[in-house]
Amino acid sequence: MKLRSLTMQSCARIAVLGCALLVAACASFTPGNPPLAKHEPDAGYRFERLEQGDNSDELFVIVTFSGGGTRAAALAYGVLEALRDTTIEWRGRRVALLDEVDVISSISGGSFPAAYYALRGRQIFDEFEDKFLYRPIQSDLVRLALSPANWLKLAAPAFGRSDLAAEFYHREVFGGATYADVIARKQRPFVILNATDMTTGTPFPFTQDQFDLLCSDLAGVPLARAAASSSAFPGGLTPLTFQNYAGTCGYRQPPWVALAAADHASRVNPRRTARAENRLSLAAEEPARRHYIHLTDGGVADNIGLRGPLEAIASTNHPWSVLERMNKKKIDKLVVIVVNAATNPATDRDQTAAVPGLIDTLTTAATVPLDNYSFDTVELLSKTVNEFNTDARLVGDCNRLSARKGEQCALKLPAPHKVDLYSVQVAFEYIASPEERTWFRNLPTTFELPRETIDKLRAVGRRLLNEDPQFQNLMKALNGKP
Amino acid sequence: MEHVIVTFPTDRLVYVDGEENGSTNEVLRVEAGTHVFELGNLANYRPASRTVTVQDTTVLEPLKIAFYRKDE
Repeated sequence: MKLRSLTMQSCARIAVLGCALLVAACASFTPGNPPLAKHEPDAGYRFERLEQGDNSDELFVIVTFSGGGTRAAALAYGVLEALRDTTIEWRGRRVALLDEVDVISSISGGSFPAAYYALRGRQIFDEFEDKFLYRPIQSDLVRLALSPANWLKLAAPAFGRSDLAAEFYHREVFGGATYADVIARKQRPFVILNATDMTTGTPFPFTQDQFDLLCSDLAGVPLARAAASSSAFPGGLTPLTFQNYAGTCGYRQPPWVALAAADHASRVNPRRTARAENRLSLAAEEPARRHYIHLTDGGVADNIGLRGPLEAIASTNHPWSVLERMNKKKIDKLVVIVVNAATNPATDRDQTAAVPGLIDTLTTAATVPLDNYSFDTVELLSKTVNEFNTDARLVGDCNRLSARKGEQCALKLPAPHKVDLYSVQVAFEYIASPEERTWFRNLPTTFELPRETIDKLRAVGRRLLNEDPQFQNLMKALNGKP
Repeated sequence: MEHVIVTFPTDRLVYVDGEENGSTNEVLRVEAGTHVFELGNLANYRPASRTVTVQDTTVLEPLKIAFYRKDE
């Protein structure tokens, strides 16, 4: 009799649980991004809206933070500390180089220090270590995912492990902050967290310019949700879903979009055309409207966060175009600091004739193209910098050569505004000692590292910055003191 | 990277694709592709705008895009 009663109770519990899971599965999607009532080009999180304060445009500093979990976060944090401690002479004053940073573009693990700095400024140096860096985030996330209390939520098709992670970051790391709190600070740097649009495979920056396309108000988006999207490492974490309200706020594309899209057939600039078509895809109205946008880890599209800055440097058709500022003669020195926590784990694959296994093959297929793309992106930065420098040299050389032939031959060619460019690389591959380099390049990608490893990452970030030849040139030019 | 010089008898602001982008009679850098060039709201110039596909320029031979006074 007792056994029968227990069996019935168990059946009842299973039925209740089953019903609850069914209800959860039918639960409607709650968008984490509110609609934008009316498109306002002068409102929201935009570079132009930030107050410059003492941060001058003449010295324009862009910093990028790569993906790589806590390894990337710690390396980026070490560079931020070094920039805080580095002083330069600028406009007759001695200032911290950190206070001259204009833009930070970040991916995945690098998005946590970036977002925290956007929210709290220099208080990051008092708070971030306990809030994120030394915390066992990975264990916390696993515990949350395994907790029966969260199974109901996770059973809903529009709620994934990254949504759970976003709730955790919102509560535990960012103290419930949204982009409205970042906007309220109104201070540079302009911090851009990048995710990847799964459908187009393109970077998805968390800026109001991008959210305009969706007719969504970034001010209402939790910072944690942006960080979770940027770091939704495929497999371990799920993509995040954003509602697309395109066509409801009176948004009009900037004039260049139609021009660039019309260049499709002539192929005069496929890269610009692709950017235009991507904007048109996001802002498409019925029947082509994409009702939801699914964002995954920013590293899928660009693991070093440099693509957006490169566009800004090479194009006037960009929401915070650097080239436009160069044309207006506002920028004299442009500094791009790439903080890249990429690794290259050792393998004994080649010590045996055995056919590599499925996991090994899939991991290689997933990571090698990203690493190669990152390599090409850094090369593209070097190529762009060289192009600027070569152009400036060409005009100078021509004018000098022609002048040697006599005044009647002097060409006096007009030149574009001269900008001194500094491309600084902070990456483990530049560690001189082979043993030390190997050690750093074999660190895992995880949201939890031993305290001593994090300390080493912070220290090596600072050291690699100070050892970079271009950074040393910058320090000479600005009488810098590390 | 492409190079253009928007010419006009006097110094005027140049607008590329609706955004202010430097001044007339100076070498400006733009991305390759079709762009609209204007001189702003003062309507004393002609043509009102020029839509030009910029490509294959060099810093030594920028593309010249001419505007004139209306009364010329």
